[in-house]
Amino acid sequence: MIRRFAFVIAVIALALGTGSPPALAHKMKIFASATGATILGYAYFNADSRAVQTKVSVRGADGSTVFTGVTDDKGQFAVQATRRMDHHISVIGDDGHMATFTVTAAELPDSLPPAGGAAPAPAAAVPAAAAATVVGSDDLRNFIDQSVSRQLRPLREQIDAYQEKIWLHDVIGGIGYIVGVAGLAFGFANRRRRPQVTEPS
Amino acid sequence: MAHIPDGVVSFPVLAVGAAVTVAGCAYALKRLPPERIPQAAILSAVFFVASLVHFPVGPSSVHLILNGLTGVILGWAAFPAILIALLLQAVLFGFGGVVVLGVNVMNMAVPAVICGLLFDVLYRRTGDSPRLAALAAGFCGGLGVLLTTLAVALSLGVSGREFLPAAKLIVLTHVPVMVVEAVFTAAAIGLVLRVKPGFIARPGLSPAWERVE
Repeated sequence: MIRRFAFVIAVIALALGTGSPPALAHKMKIFASATGATILGYAYFNADSRAVQTKVSVRGADGSTVFTGVTDDKGQFAVQATRRMDHHISVIGDDGHMATFTVTAAELPDSLPPAGGAAPAPAAAVPAAAAATVVGSDDLRNFIDQSVSRQLRPLREQIDAYQEKIWLHDVIGGIGYIVGVAGLAFGFANRRRRPQVTEPS
Repeated sequence: MAHIPDGVVSFPVLAVGAAVTVAGCAYALKRLPPERIPQAAILSAVFFVASLVHFPVGPSSVHLILNGLTGVILGWAAFPAILIALLLQAVLFGFGGVVVLGVNVMNMAVPAVICGLLFDVLYRRTGDSPRLAALAAGFCGGLGVLLTTLAVALSLGVSGREFLPAAKLIVLTHVPVMVVEAVFTAAAIGLVLRVKPGFIARPGLSPAWERVE
């Protein structure tokens, strides 16, 4: 009995050992945020594996398709927003992986027309160099928006990564559930057999 | 890509997956003697954790499945073991999904049972040689992954995706997984046969080691 128990412990330890980097998840995910009117994002599996050459489509809150394309060799994509509305991004891999992400209207600059508004003028991308010649208050506001979102981006990436991380307590909790379910099954199975057991043996 | 996420496969595929899963689990639980429940739980835990071991391959990312090993050791009992492991993977890790659970269980547990039954046949023919038995187990371990990838591609194909590109991509990216699992299964079964031969014994199967014991 002790040997059997030791064997069980060894198998569980082995299972835990092989899964020792529990930070690694297997699931396609998207991260995206708006810098000015440009939505920059990337599709990834984990910290060191991006989803390259994967189909991306971006749908506006009004149902229009804003963008379709594939991610580049770093898993990245860039979309020019022309209206201030929620942008629903979805990435679909040929092998059935799928992920969705929403960039909310609040992230996009006020200068864009709202969804369903007048046909927008082609959004002029504000190059970083233009920041040097800040004149009007709109330009100043755009400049501040852009630099704040650039500063916030790594922080948001980190929060996103933390949310998606698989923690050791998830793994241990799962194993605990399995042990618990097995215990229940064992108990029920024995209860069903008890009348036979009480017969003289 | 063994775990299909929610919202990818069509309704008929979901229905077939759920039906196969319910039927398979019912049959397996009926056959499962209570004293083998702890063993099923251990394999369920191993299967649950194995999905965390993953590596990038080409444009995708793959992970161990270990359904071949589960099937070789558990036979039909692989059905409930994989069901519980996949449910927990969906809830705790976000792999796959709860709605699509039946399809994922079907795609992994049916190959597992096939591998288990095939291993029984092969084992009877290997006689008393643990080395040949380990080789057979390794073959079954690799086959489990191959069948699962084909089942996933088929699920996507029936749901309206193009079957051939998906199948090619999934099977090719899983070649390393097949190799790793074949080696791992062969090593694990080889060890078990030498240390504790009764561990893979199944009722209805009376090969050499049971007569010896």
